[in-house]
Amino acid sequence: MRPRIVVSIALLILSLLGTIYAQKPFREYPGAEYENFPLPPDWRENAEFSRARLMYPSISRGWGRYQSWTIDYPRSDRHLLAGIRRLTRIHTRSVEQPVSLDDPDEVFNWPFLYGVEVGHWDLTDAQCQKLREFLLRGGFLMVDDFHGTQEWEIFMAGMSRVFPDRPVVDLDNKDPIFHVLYDLDERFQVPGAQWFETGRIYEKDGIEPRWRGIYDDKGRIMVAICHNMDLGDAWEWSDDPRYPEKWASLAYRIAVNYTIYDMTH
Amino acid sequence: MFEFLFKYPSTVFSKGQLVLLGTWPVWLLAASILVGAAVLGWLIWKRKLGTGSAGRSAVVWLLQSAFLTLLLLMLWQPALSIGTLKPQQNIVAVLVDDSRSMAIQENGSSRLEQATKTLDSGLLKALRDRFQVRLYSAGETLQRIQNTASLKAQAPATRLGDALKQVAAESASLPVGAIVLLSDGAENAGGIDLNTMSAIRQHRIPVHTIGFGLEAMSHDIELVDLQTPSKTLADSRVQAQLTLRQRGYAGQRVRVTLKDGGKPLATRDIIFKADGTEQSEAILFNAGSAGVRNLEVSIDPQKNEENVKNNRLTRVMDVDASKPRVLYVEGEPRWEYKFIHRAIDDDHSLKMATILRTTQNKIYRQGIDSPDELVQGFPTKAEELFAFQGLIIGSVEANWFTPAQQELIKEFADRRGGGVLFLGGRFGLSDGGYLQPPFTDLLPVDLPSSKNTYHAQTAAVAELTSAGRDSLITRLDDDPVKNVERWKKLPYLMNWQDPGSPKRGALVLMEASPAGSTRRVPTLITQNYGHGRTAVFATGGSWRWQMQMPLGDRSHEVFWQQMLRWLVTGSPGRVVLSTPKSLLADESRVPLRAEVRDKTYQAAGDAQVEAHIIGPDGLNEKITLQPSAQERGTFTTDWEAPKPGSYLAEVVARRGNEELGRDVITFRREDGIAENFRTEQNRELLEKLSAQTGGRYYRPNEAGRLASDVEYSDSGITVRETRDLWNMPIVFLFALMLRGSEWMLRRKWGVI
Repeated sequence: MRPRIVVSIALLILSLLGTIYAQKPFREYPGAEYENFPLPPDWRENAEFSRARLMYPSISRGWGRYQSWTIDYPRSDRHLLAGIRRLTRIHTRSVEQPVSLDDPDEVFNWPFLYGVEVGHWDLTDAQCQKLREFLLRGGFLMVDDFHGTQEWEIFMAGMSRVFPDRPVVDLDNKDPIFHVLYDLDERFQVPGAQWFETGRIYEKDGIEPRWRGIYDDKGRIMVAICHNMDLGDAWEWSDDPRYPEKWASLAYRIAVNYTIYDMTH
Repeated sequence: MFEFLFKYPSTVFSKGQLVLLGTWPVWLLAASILVGAAVLGWLIWKRKLGTGSAGRSAVVWLLQSAFLTLLLLMLWQPALSIGTLKPQQNIVAVLVDDSRSMAIQENGSSRLEQATKTLDSGLLKALRDRFQVRLYSAGETLQRIQNTASLKAQAPATRLGDALKQVAAESASLPVGAIVLLSDGAENAGGIDLNTMSAIRQHRIPVHTIGFGLEAMSHDIELVDLQTPSKTLADSRVQAQLTLRQRGYAGQRVRVTLKDGGKPLATRDIIFKADGTEQSEAILFNAGSAGVRNLEVSIDPQKNEENVKNNRLTRVMDVDASKPRVLYVEGEPRWEYKFIHRAIDDDHSLKMATILRTTQNKIYRQGIDSPDELVQGFPTKAEELFAFQGLIIGSVEANWFTPAQQELIKEFADRRGGGVLFLGGRFGLSDGGYLQPPFTDLLPVDLPSSKNTYHAQTAAVAELTSAGRDSLITRLDDDPVKNVERWKKLPYLMNWQDPGSPKRGALVLMEASPAGSTRRVPTLITQNYGHGRTAVFATGGSWRWQMQMPLGDRSHEVFWQQMLRWLVTGSPGRVVLSTPKSLLADESRVPLRAEVRDKTYQAAGDAQVEAHIIGPDGLNEKITLQPSAQERGTFTTDWEAPKPGSYLAEVVARRGNEELGRDVITFRREDGIAENFRTEQNRELLEKLSAQTGGRYYRPNEAGRLASDVEYSDSGITVRETRDLWNMPIVFLFALMLRGSEWMLRRKWGVI
């Protein structure tokens, strides 16, 4: 065989390998609450953006069927992504991308990472290190749906291993993250679906909603922490007439702002 | 030998005109030759059996015809008409190069000693026997001297052009018949310009030159030139281009060192090419913080090197404190935007303002100078857009810009001299509708006519082309080999776009190989456009170079910072002050030139332009620049730098009370360095000077002939003489040879 043909075939194989080892294709996992949730028509679209959902080991249940990373999954993701697609010029597909920190480089293909119920996470040292690297290279982590003192401490147990040296601070109303698209000076607690049954807008001792964050050395938010609120449920139940529009609306606006903030800072 | 055969010196033949002194007309000569040749041909043809064959007959005919032609020509009395100088009525100016390079010792004596010896051992006397001789010392100025003892070889520079111009001027009132120049040809004050040459030719004064000095040294390294930009941005990677040549060290590895005021900036090991070959080497260095860089490039003296003073060169470079601004317009939130933004955030010498279309009807602005800046979106006025030096057009539809804005973008590059970079994307290039004027003019590529050229989420591996390997935009490592290796290690691009084919004159710096294809698509293409430049980076997926590379790897940041520096470097301010000589080597005249434009970058011919110059010993002077008649908006002056040292000139342009702009340059005068360079005899210059003026070049051992050659000149007081040619020995020899040849041939053929 001529050397030129050999080189061409080698290049082709390398290119194909590049595709294989490139961004992983969309894949669904069994959720804690949903199975066989319908796929939107654009699920195969080669879009610029999709929100990565952080797969993590939970403190009590391990990698079992009811893993806490799958809470609200995939209904909340798909509702939200369809909203982002409709409300902004972000080219996003309407399906999420579950991403594990154990996958060698996959997380670095998805600069926006969303972690739900992080009051139950139990990151390994390797995962902490990977998450730290991800954030310092320019990634962004939004965490949500954890409540009260105990879950905060569990979250911080993991986060302090990611960033032992960076403080968690309350976000100032003037921070661009609250103004990049919508002005979100007036924020309030967004309850989860438990409100249908309990009528309470808070869970555990998480009475006061807190918008917090961890900044990088240039004053950019790397970790956006939504504590004592359940934005995930708000996106999930936004098509349910029982769920009040004002909570759903704020949850969408926060998510849109956080997404655009990530894509601009 | 020549004179023995031809009776006269070769000068007579090169300068004289051939004439026929015979009274018979020339046509009769031609007719006689033709008739004679025909008769001979007829006679030989009739007797061809006598020679044996037609070929032999033809040879005999040719020899006999040539002999007949020679005889007939002599009957018409050929002669040379030549102008000769009248004895003792003409002046011969003898110019002796008195510069320092003439003090160089070669073969036991200096060049000047060799020159004076040549003069004093007979040449001067021979000239004085025929002409009035004026002896001059040619250094920085031309001075008349009485004898060669006055020559000292101490002038810091040679100005042969000025010296010759002065003698030519004297010839207007004096009968200067010829100039004799004794020099090593080491002219280092800008060469002999066309005006000087034409003045000498106008007076028809032949310049005879005698060259001194070795034409090639056995062991020498000479740094010929160091090209650096006169201005650059702080912390820029700068490429200095060093030209050098050497003899005696071919194949040897040496270290080139670049310093700023004694502080090392860069070193590079090079290998010398063949002896006498001019070689060019690039030296990359970081410009550092704002201020003046006194650059000095040097090579350590090597073993047996004959002249070590030409191993060092100095230049001045301004590192600009200003922060050029780039406007980036993006049509959709995307990762490329975020990571370009972050890369430029790290660059303290650049500022970037951005307009991002977040929704159909909203824009988000970053990097703005005031709350009102760009509040209405993309600028609609020239002065607003032209305040930026660079423009990036991302994934935004062409029709988002109004026709007036589109025209403004073209003018931004064309008239204002800014840089425009088009990025690939969903709404970029062909897919964004850029296949329409004025973008088709502006782009460095011919876009494909089809859409769907953008391939999202399709990996493509970027690779540098040969032009890319040399470009400062894509230089991630100063070492060219390591640079290529670093590019090979970069992860694939997240997407790619087909930009079409590069236009003629455009430079492709990078290509991409899309996944699953052996095709290579141009990815980074640049070109100069009007006063500015344009480029295409046909991807929106370079952000993976940041996210996929380990923390601390700065490839992505460096690439984008260099990309934007390329975009803005060369974008002029409204006032641009320049001088062609930032280093005055044994010179004092500084030509200053200011180009002045108004806010819309139209030439401001009605401006008042004043320069404020600060120099050594408290020099503080203000001068007014005068408008140029040829170029509107251009103001010039020539200024004399009185002393060696560093100077700073700041020019301010005003229109009434309004300040149009200001600019600063630095320059330095250094004395006593020019003569250290080009120390080999510049025979080429001396020969050219002689040839163009009707003189001759002589080696010192040939100078004995010069006095008689000088006699033949059309300048000064001359008479025309004719010199017979019929009695030249060569004529008789030629006639004998023709007849003898025929006789020998006939003997050989046995037909006598």
